[in-house]
Amino acid sequence: MLAQQLLNGVALGFHYVLIALGLTMVYGVLRLLHFAHGVIYMIGAFAAMIGILYLQLPFAVALLFAMVVSGIVGMSIERFAYRPLRGTHPITTLISGVGISIFLENVFQVMFTSDSRAFPETGITTSIITLTESITITNTKLYIIIAGVVCLGLLYGFLKLTKLGIAIQAAAQDIRAASLMGINVNRVVAVTFMLGSALAAVAGVLVAINFNSISPTMGALPGLKAFCVVVLGGLGSIRGTIVGGLLLGVVESLGDGFMTDLVIDKDAIAFVILILILLIRPSGLFGKHIEKV
Amino acid sequence: MNLMDDMLNPYYVDIVVFLIIYLLLGLGLNLITGYAGQVSLGHAAFYGIGAYSSAILSVTYGMNPWASMGSAVVITFVISAILGLPSLRVREDFLAITTLGLGLIAQSVFKNAEITGGAYGIDSIPVPSLFGLELKNVGYLLLVVVVLLAGIFVMQKMTKSRIGRAWMTIREDEMVAQAMGINTTYYKVLVFAIGGAYAGAAGALFAHKASYISAESFGFTISVTVLSMVVLGGLGSIRGTLFGVSVLYLLPELFRLFKLDFMEMKNLDVYKMMVYGLLMVIVMRYRPKGLFGKTGFKKKKRYSAGKEAAIKGGDQVA
Amino acid sequence: MLKIEGITKRFGGLVAVDQVSLQVNQGEIFGLIGPNGAGKTTFFNILTGIYKPDAGTIMFEEKPFRIAKSGIARTFQNIRLLKEETVLDNVALGMFGKTSSGLWAAILGLRSAKEEEAIVHTESLRLLELVGLASYEQLEAGSLSYGNQRRVEIARALVAKPKLLLLDEPTAGMNAEEVQEMTALIRKIRENGTTVILIEHNVTMVTGLCDRIAVLDHGVKIADDSPEAVISNPEVIEAYIGKVDEEGVTQHAAN
Repeated sequence: MLAQQLLNGVALGFHYVLIALGLTMVYGVLRLLHFAHGVIYMIGAFAAMIGILYLQLPFAVALLFAMVVSGIVGMSIERFAYRPLRGTHPITTLISGVGISIFLENVFQVMFTSDSRAFPETGITTSIITLTESITITNTKLYIIIAGVVCLGLLYGFLKLTKLGIAIQAAAQDIRAASLMGINVNRVVAVTFMLGSALAAVAGVLVAINFNSISPTMGALPGLKAFCVVVLGGLGSIRGTIVGGLLLGVVESLGDGFMTDLVIDKDAIAFVILILILLIRPSGLFGKHIEKV
Repeated sequence: MNLMDDMLNPYYVDIVVFLIIYLLLGLGLNLITGYAGQVSLGHAAFYGIGAYSSAILSVTYGMNPWASMGSAVVITFVISAILGLPSLRVREDFLAITTLGLGLIAQSVFKNAEITGGAYGIDSIPVPSLFGLELKNVGYLLLVVVVLLAGIFVMQKMTKSRIGRAWMTIREDEMVAQAMGINTTYYKVLVFAIGGAYAGAAGALFAHKASYISAESFGFTISVTVLSMVVLGGLGSIRGTLFGVSVLYLLPELFRLFKLDFMEMKNLDVYKMMVYGLLMVIVMRYRPKGLFGKTGFKKKKRYSAGKEAAIKGGDQVA
Repeated sequence: MLKIEGITKRFGGLVAVDQVSLQVNQGEIFGLIGPNGAGKTTFFNILTGIYKPDAGTIMFEEKPFRIAKSGIARTFQNIRLLKEETVLDNVALGMFGKTSSGLWAAILGLRSAKEEEAIVHTESLRLLELVGLASYEQLEAGSLSYGNQRRVEIARALVAKPKLLLLDEPTAGMNAEEVQEMTALIRKIRENGTTVILIEHNVTMVTGLCDRIAVLDHGVKIADDSPEAVISNPEVIEAYIGKVDEEGVTQHAAN
């Protein structure tokens, strides 16, 4: 039972990691709380659905299509809702982000109604893999874990080996110095949003398959929980985000399995963690000491 | 009064009553966010605490509705002060996320706790009566108007006083506030308590009007709706809040009233939220002060290199 | 009146202020100088309560002190006025710690609150007159010239009648004429009975104005003496080499 819940927690955790990475990178580069990230996750899932249903794409291509669409949406949000406000008070950008996410969420409700619907046939049939006598995992959850590991590997390679990746890291260290060094900051920011959004799309698609359900509001909670992950892990720290995401997944999964008469929902656990971290150790698990976030 | 009840269409009366409840919510939020600069995305929590407090006291404990409403304001005042404590520790944008989290936790508690009636909620909330007369329609309208006027009066007095100056200074420059001997801890907690009490009053009035409440009515959507109304009207302006809330609240009602057929009525709420969201983006970009606002959010000066370095130390990528 | 003993402040591995002790006497104009990065600003921030020292004590009139409450006021290196408020309102803010009317007084419009407001108003006007800005009272603070904004800041710091005034680079960014006016103003403040501590880059100005000067270098106090003794102190010259010459020359030329 415990091992089973842990395994489920890891799958859930990788899904949080995939979403939260985008937030972490954006925060790292711009010190900006990207509120509209959850909407991008939802748009990814819908893009894949459209790809499969209307464009008759095979699943792997539909997934790529979703990543591209989300990447473009992410960049556009940055271009229109955040960039004009750069240099203003952080709250201005936050409110703008809240606004754009509400707008997009409701646009999708107009187009697709607010009801959840089943995710279209992907050719993947859900099956249960028996690991030991008492531990099983659905193949879709396994895909989330695999996708998480693969994406992390790719991201790591990109940040360490490519010029653009190194530029992103430099911008995260000190964006002004980076721009003085001749790094095109707008390009770095755009790529950061694109990458983060594509990762969120992967999470959105895989979760939609896992639960066989897709709706315009599906991104709201995961998007907010991703903030909890980012704060838990230590702002801007990718390593911290990975650990924080997995931790949240496991805690939620255990909470679901063992604490049945909690006065709050499973979904609220993340925010309790968030508030405790901000009050007790605002630098998170892996951030260096911060006097006040 | 019954005569007046007959004269005025109860449907219109209800619209105005609910509008005024929103106005109270807006005033409270404007106090916290507009005057004192402490962003709250969890305003619905205060609203809900007020509503549930009055409902529980009057239904479960049989308290007189007047007493329960009064107690609800006091209870919300105290709880809001406690919920405002994170503002002492976290920076503005993180405060927004923190208050958002508090709002979600509060809603979750409303939905799961026994005392709040769980997912079902609380019904048969009694109507207050005056001189043996139940305050329905117009009577209730008069009640909310009186509360609103009192709320505006108190807010005007507060914001123009020494307390208002303290809040304004904290909003503009916390470092200066401290150097001037302003006890920032006290004034931040105070503004959450008072702003929360406004929302609490709104909640109590809502509960006794609707006679039935459930957790659904106190979600993030309410917090964001009220924030967008206040932002449109202008932060730090009472007139702005009155205007912003009225326009954004009444517009959808007008659409409903005239049954404009270029869109489907069942989607009205969705269209409404679409417009609110878009307005927030546009206002932030082109008129961050809102229509009447004296102040927008300004980039605060970071004080010293030492502190900045300490902050930066925590945020490296990989 | 101000007694500082063994103040130390570390940032990570860096010791920004290292066991500094100082004593400032009633009625003095006390200067604190040092090359860039000497720890002056950190020291000032400790004095004003922004940082907590890792070690050491500060006593103000024999008591542990808290700014504003104890009769200490300050100005900021980069002027920090509420730019959209009037000059008068900015100065009035300085009286905050001296007033006490609370919530009920405000809501009920009690007489005590109104009387307090009246006192704040007259005092603020008096201070504006002292710094020579009486006719600017209704202007937005942000619309004033740099030098005048500094005066507003000083008026704001003085309105609560502090016993000790801390000035953080009061002449930063000023031209020679403005520097002279500021020097005269600081003298006037002392004549009115306020002790002054100032941090400065402008060595000429400090030596001409201060009764006593302490020099910080790499967080350590290397001198604490009369201006004449300090500028001829070989250790100071070494720490400052180039700096004194450069600034001294330009300042003389400008004067």
